[in-house]
Amino acid sequence: MEPVNLFDLATRQSQWLAVRQSAIASNIANANTPGYTANDVEPFEKVLDRTAVTLAATQTGHLGAETANAGFNVKPEDPNGAIMPSKNTVVLEQELMKAGEVRRSFELNTAIVKAFHSMMTMVVKS
Amino acid sequence: MDALTAALKVAASGLGAQSERLRVVSENLANAQSTGSTPGADPYRRKTITFQSEVDRASGGSLVEVNSISRDPSDFPIEFQPGNEAADAKGYVKMPNVNTLVEMADMSEANRSYEANLQVIKQARDLISMTIDLMRNQ
Amino acid sequence: MIGGIGAIQFKTAVDGAESASPGLLQGGVGTQAGESVGSTFAEVLGQAATKTVNTLQGAEQMSIQALKGDADTRQVVDAVLSAQQALQTTIAIRDKVVSAYLEISRMSI
Repeated sequence: MEPVNLFDLATRQSQWLAVRQSAIASNIANANTPGYTANDVEPFEKVLDRTAVTLAATQTGHLGAETANAGFNVKPEDPNGAIMPSKNTVVLEQELMKAGEVRRSFELNTAIVKAFHSMMTMVVKS
Repeated sequence: MDALTAALKVAASGLGAQSERLRVVSENLANAQSTGSTPGADPYRRKTITFQSEVDRASGGSLVEVNSISRDPSDFPIEFQPGNEAADAKGYVKMPNVNTLVEMADMSEANRSYEANLQVIKQARDLISMTIDLMRNQ
Repeated sequence: MIGGIGAIQFKTAVDGAESASPGLLQGGVGTQAGESVGSTFAEVLGQAATKTVNTLQGAEQMSIQALKGDADTRQVVDAVLSAQQALQTTIAIRDKVVSAYLEISRMSI
């Protein structure tokens, strides 16, 4: 298997997390909008399978971050709870839980990047 | 516009919408006893608010905005108050079609949504801050 | 990726010292007979370097797992911390070896 560059993977994941955060924000803002269906991003594993070839690319600037959604698919998620008469499928608690997950993953992501970056500079110094 | 800034924009629109909703609720509560001023006149008619979502092209997120503020068309309840200036010939007064309990429930819902939107703003702001922090303390 | 950097610098220092004066890292005359008993100093250093590289690679693998979404947070943190410790130690040893070599090379015969 091709070696995956740690920093590129971290950047890709943080972009995915940001898109997920904005999907959660849209859901929470539209929690009372009639007819609105809750959205979510496709899972990160699917993204990785899709871009397995390009992730090892040497051009780090070429990760496709031009559009606001950075090339991730944001699509309506399946409603797995009761459907309200107003056809609104947002469950506020679920959205807040998802937001918590996003936050934890993001913190881990930035901590990993910081640690490995400091290790690399540590070696070069002295 | 990157996704985190888009999240901020969307959540801010949510705050605005919920504030409007709270305003409508407080208007209804304040006027829950406002009868007409002439005999047989209509009292205060309850206001209702509806939202709609709008996809913002620049950010790609679904902003929420107020669709309309309209009036509740349900009938006015009638009370027997002969001394009231709005009493008709038989002494009945039409009261506003505001149910205080319904309005209070609506208000706590609006509060909950407002809080949730506020959480989103805090979190998006923190995530942006964490990203910038990577560069600090070199 | 990361392990490579540390190991290369370290191994180069050890090998350079070894090749320049072969007896240097083997403990001098007195331990010639003892070579078969224990490992030489160079081997010890080499083993330490290998261990560090493995620790670093382990940390990198755990972090990649974590970024993909399924790894225990505490394990990731532990792996990265041990990697940092190992790297720090290795760099300190490397610096000491280099400066010791320089000092010895400056000694008048």
